[in-house]
Amino acid sequence: MTRAFIRMAVPLLAAMLVAGHAAAQQIDPRLERLDATTRPTVAAVIDSARTAMLPTEPLVQRALEGATKRASGEMIVAAVRRLAVDLGHARESLGSTASGAELTAGAAALRAGASQTILTELRRTRREPLTVPLAVLADLVSSGVPVDSAAAAVLSLAKRARDGDLIEFRRAVERDIALGAPPAAATAAAATATAQSVDVNAGARQQRPGRP
Amino acid sequence: MFDPVDDLIERIARHLRRPVQIDPALDGRVMREITALPTPGGATALGKAWRWLRRPHQLTLTPLGGLAAAAALAVVVFLSRMDRTPSPAPRAESRVFQFVLVAPRATRISLVGDFNDWDATRTPMRRAGSEALWTAVVPLAPGRYHYAFLVDGSRWLADPSAPVARDEDYGAPSSVVTVGAGGGDS
Repeated sequence: MTRAFIRMAVPLLAAMLVAGHAAAQQIDPRLERLDATTRPTVAAVIDSARTAMLPTEPLVQRALEGATKRASGEMIVAAVRRLAVDLGHARESLGSTASGAELTAGAAALRAGASQTILTELRRTRREPLTVPLAVLADLVSSGVPVDSAAAAVLSLAKRARDGDLIEFRRAVERDIALGAPPAAATAAAATATAQSVDVNAGARQQRPGRP
Repeated sequence: MFDPVDDLIERIARHLRRPVQIDPALDGRVMREITALPTPGGATALGKAWRWLRRPHQLTLTPLGGLAAAAALAVVVFLSRMDRTPSPAPRAESRVFQFVLVAPRATRISLVGDFNDWDATRTPMRRAGSEALWTAVVPLAPGRYHYAFLVDGSRWLADPSAPVARDEDYGAPSSVVTVGAGGGDS
């Protein structure tokens, strides 16, 4: 009976393994929009990312963006590779439990100039998802705020501020910069105002009767 | 001389010698029963497999064999999980997001980005109210997305009301929209 079981089970397991591997190797049909030379290279990068347990959707989107913008194959491959590397670094910093959205935002923050140490510190500081704090960090740097100032401000707010507070903080910084304030000063002022607002709101929430 | 025992034997013998009356339909009935019986060599492979599956079996495995089977199962599970990339937030968390662009001279504008595979045909913008104002509405799950406006099929525009994508790789401008999990959008 054991032999009969093995005779049945071994080919079945082998078939499952082959099928699983084949599914993993299958090229995403959306990549048909890439030219025949670029497609296999991009697919290989995406396969490597999948093997490394990195999110592949941002890589597909980056390739499709290149195809729609009529970038050359070399540019597309370089962009997808660069993003894969950034996603890997973001995962190293944020840990294996980070979501795809967090890794994508983390990759953007790294590209903007944030260090991996800042990402790790953010993970340690904040319990909620890091997608918005990381995106705000990347966006502030894009607006001309020095990386150190942006990182210090986001880190100071990350523990208690909600996603909405952080978005408002970023808008306030951009507004002040547009009005002529130096980016670093605008960031520090907005961070102080946001922290006060968060404290007031937290106090009000604590005083609300009947709240568990 | 009259022997009563001989007489009894003679009567029994006479009874047994009488021809037995058999129902003429008996042959037909027997043959029908035989035909209805399962033929051991004539079953299909599928029928055999089905009977094998329904019959209880005793499985004996050495500890080594059991460990090998468990390891093989673990490999299958691992490989199937490997195919699953960290998935975006469930659609239930998606929120409708409105994109707006003022472009008085445009004849057609598409919204393209990470949320629609950068497909210029997927999200055409519509004129709203005035001739200059173009809008499109897209449901977005929490995350950070690159996007841009494609004007008249050839000109790329970033969203003037959104942060610029600094991690832009292709020269043409893009913007960024971030959707938070707890109600924060930008």
